[in-house]
Amino acid sequence: MILANGKRYESAMQDTILSGLAAKLNQTLAKPAPTPELVISAIDKLGRTVEAGAFDAQIDALQLDGAQQYKALAIRLLRRDYLEFKLRTELGADAMPDRYTEPPAGLAPLRVLTRPLGVLLHIAAGNADGLPAFSVAEGLVTGNVNLLKLPQADNGLSLTILEALMDMEPRLADYIYVFDTPSSDLAAIKRMADLSDGIVVWGGETAVAAVRRFAHPGTKLIEWGHRLSFAYLSGPVPDQALADLAEHIITTQQLLCSSCQVIYLDTADMEAVRGFCDRFYPVLEGMALQHQPKTMGAVAALTLRSRTDHLEALLDGRAAKPWHSPLCSLIVREDTALELSPMLGNVLVKPLPSAQIIEVLREKKQYLQTAGLCCRAEDRERLTQLLVRAGVNRITSLKNMSASLPGEAHDGEYPLRRYVRMVNVEPQAQ
Amino acid sequence: MKDRSKLFSQADPYDAAKTEALFVSAVRENCSYAYKHCPEYKTILDAEGFSPQRLQRIEDLAELPVLPTALFKRRRLLSMPRRRLPVVVTSSGTSGHASQIGFAVSDLWAGLMMVLRVCKTRRLLSARPCHYVVFGYQPNRKNRTGASKTAFGVTLFTPALSRTYALRWDKGSYVLDLKAVQQAIVTHSRSRFPLRFMGFPSYAWFLMKQMDAQGVYVKLPKGSKLMLGGGWKQFYTEEVDKPVFYALAKKVLGLEEADIIEFYGAVEHPILYCDCAYHHFHVPIYSRVLIRDVQTLKPVPHETPGLVNLISPMVFATPLLSVMPDDLGVLHDGCPCGLSSPYLEILGRVGLQDIKTCAAGAAELLEQTEVSL
Repeated sequence: MILANGKRYESAMQDTILSGLAAKLNQTLAKPAPTPELVISAIDKLGRTVEAGAFDAQIDALQLDGAQQYKALAIRLLRRDYLEFKLRTELGADAMPDRYTEPPAGLAPLRVLTRPLGVLLHIAAGNADGLPAFSVAEGLVTGNVNLLKLPQADNGLSLTILEALMDMEPRLADYIYVFDTPSSDLAAIKRMADLSDGIVVWGGETAVAAVRRFAHPGTKLIEWGHRLSFAYLSGPVPDQALADLAEHIITTQQLLCSSCQVIYLDTADMEAVRGFCDRFYPVLEGMALQHQPKTMGAVAALTLRSRTDHLEALLDGRAAKPWHSPLCSLIVREDTALELSPMLGNVLVKPLPSAQIIEVLREKKQYLQTAGLCCRAEDRERLTQLLVRAGVNRITSLKNMSASLPGEAHDGEYPLRRYVRMVNVEPQAQ
Repeated sequence: MKDRSKLFSQADPYDAAKTEALFVSAVRENCSYAYKHCPEYKTILDAEGFSPQRLQRIEDLAELPVLPTALFKRRRLLSMPRRRLPVVVTSSGTSGHASQIGFAVSDLWAGLMMVLRVCKTRRLLSARPCHYVVFGYQPNRKNRTGASKTAFGVTLFTPALSRTYALRWDKGSYVLDLKAVQQAIVTHSRSRFPLRFMGFPSYAWFLMKQMDAQGVYVKLPKGSKLMLGGGWKQFYTEEVDKPVFYALAKKVLGLEEADIIEFYGAVEHPILYCDCAYHHFHVPIYSRVLIRDVQTLKPVPHETPGLVNLISPMVFATPLLSVMPDDLGVLHDGCPCGLSSPYLEILGRVGLQDIKTCAAGAAELLEQTEVSL
C-alpha cells in the first residue's frame, strides 16, 4: 500500500507515483513549510484520540507484551507540552526562530533562519512497532516533506497512525508519503533518495552501508544504527539493584539497543565474578519465571531446548551448567570485551576494573550507547565521567536503562537539529 | 531385523490396526539393537530407567525416551561404524549445524519397500515410460542432501525417457534454469508419453506463474502428474493457498487436482508420507505419531495440538526410533478418503515468531541461529 496526496494506492502504482513526484514536491516546496504549531496541534489531537481509545483495537491486534505501557508512553510522547518541550530542548528557546546574530561592535549582524532540510527520506527499521511513524513525526515538526520507506516487517500500524494524523490536519497531506517498496527494489529507493535532501536511515550495518553506497555524496545522511549497552557494577550491589537489573534483562529480552548485553563488575577477581552470579542468578530466574512466555510455540521451544540440554549434559557425563535454565542464564567469561550476548535472558558476566574502562570500551566506540551504572555515591561522578570519556552516550540507573527519558538525545545527538539547516541572509541596507 | 522386514513388506501400507503387534515388536527389536550398539543411546535409556523389553503393547511406545532432532545436530549418534554405512545424509542445516544421519544397506532396502508400497497404493508405479522434470538438484557426487536423493529416486518409478533438472550442475555450481524446464514442458506436452514433475513446490509455483504471465498454456498428456515434496518445511500452512495452486496447474498445465500428489518426509524420520485424494497426510504402518503436551511432554488425544513425536523402527544405523522435530502439529481422524489411519497436520514451528531487535549485530545473529525463545 502506498500513501500519497492523502490517499491510499496499490503498490503497483509505485512507478507512476514516483514519476510525478519531483513536480509534486516542487509545488509543495514553493509554499511555506508547515509551522511547528500546525504540526504540534495535529499530533496533540491525535494523542487525545489515542487516549480516548480510538486505536485500542489495533494496539490489541499487535499482541504486544505490555501493550498498556506502550499506549501510555505513546500518549505521553504525543502531548502538546511534551512536543513543545522537545522542540525547546533540541532547537532552542523559540523553535524554528528567525533571528539576527549579535556580533562584536563594528560587525554587521546577519539574519538567521532555521529552516527544514527540505525533503527527508526515512528508511525505517522494523524493530519497534510504530517507529517509522515516529521518525516521520520528527521530520514533520521541523517542517520537512517526508518520504517513508516502510520496513518489510511493518504491521500496518505506521500507515494507520499517519493517516489519522492527516485526518486531524489535512494540510499535512502534501508532507507525508509512504511507500511499501521492498528493500530489494534498489532502483525505486534510489529514485526517492535522489529527490531528497536528507536520508534518515534506521537499522543495522547492512542497511546503513547500503544507503551510503547509493546516496549522492552531497545528500545528508542521518544514521540511527544499532548499538550495544551494558551494566557497570562497582562496590556493594544492593538487592534492589539486582531486582531492577533482572527486570530490565527479562522484560526487554535484551533485544533493544539500550538492553544490557554484558554485566561488568569492577574487579579483576574471577571468584568475585562467580560469587556475583551465585547471588544474582536466583533473582534473574525468579523474574524469568514471573514473565514466562505464555504462547504455545514459546513454551514448546523451551521444553524442547530443556530436553535437548538435559540429554546433551547426560551424554557428556556432566552436571547441568551452573546459572543456566531454558528461561535464562548467566555466562561467565574471563575476557573484558563488550559484545552481543545470546540475548533472550542470556547475559554475559565479565570483570572490568575501572582502570581499564577506556581501553576496553574504545574497542567498540562505534556501538556504545547506554551504561546502567550502580556504584557507591562517592564513586558516581568519577565513574560517570570515565564512561563519558570512553564514548558512552547515555548513563542511567539499572532500572531505567531502556526507559524513555524526557528530553534525552538520541545516540549523542538531538535529532531535530539534524533535520533543519541554518540559513543566513545578509540584511540589505535600507 | 526380522520384524522390521516383516513390517516393511506388508501389502497394505495403511492398515495400522492389523499391524499393531508387529509394529511394537519391530520397535522393540530396533530399540534392543540400538541399546546394545549405540553407547550414547544406552546412556540415555539407562538414565531414564527404560529397558527395551518394556515395549510390549502399543501404549508402551509413549514411554520410549524421545530424542529431539536438535540432539542429532549436536552429537553424532550411530549404532554402526560409519565406514560400514553406504549413505550418510546431512540435513539442510539452516542453523549452521547440520545433523548427520547414517543409513545401512538394510535401512535403505526397507525404505525402498516402503516407497514402492506407498506409491503403488497411490497408483504412481507404471510400466509406461515417462518424461521427467525435476524441480531440484541434478544428482552430483558432492550433493549429499536428502532432498536431491528423493527427487532422483522418484524418477525411477516408471521407465524414464528423459530427465530435465531445474537446478543444473554447471562448471562446479548449481544454476537455476527454468527456461530449459519450460522448454521441456512445451516439447513434452506434444509427446505420446506422460510427463511427471517432482520437487520443491515453490519452484513449481514460480514456473507456473511465469508461464501464465507469458501466456504459455499447455495440455499435458493423460497420466501426467505433478509430484511435490521437499521436507517438513513445506508441511506448513503455505504462503500459497492450495486451491489457488491447483487452479493455476489446471490453467497452465491442464492438470486435474487428482494429478497433483504431495510427499513429505524428513532426514531424521525418513518415512514417506503421501497425501490422499483430500491432500491429507495419513500415517502409514511404518510409523506412529504421538502429539505431546508442550509443557509436560505427556501424550495428548487426537485433535489436540502439541509437539510432534515421530516413532519408527525403519533405521538401524542411527537411533531414530522416537524423535521430535521443532514442529507443532495435530492428529486428525475421519478423513472421507476411507483410509482409517489418522492424518498429521503440521501447524508451524516452535518458538517466538518475529523477534525484533535493534542491538548491534543481533539481527544477523538471529538470522543465523534458530532462535527457540
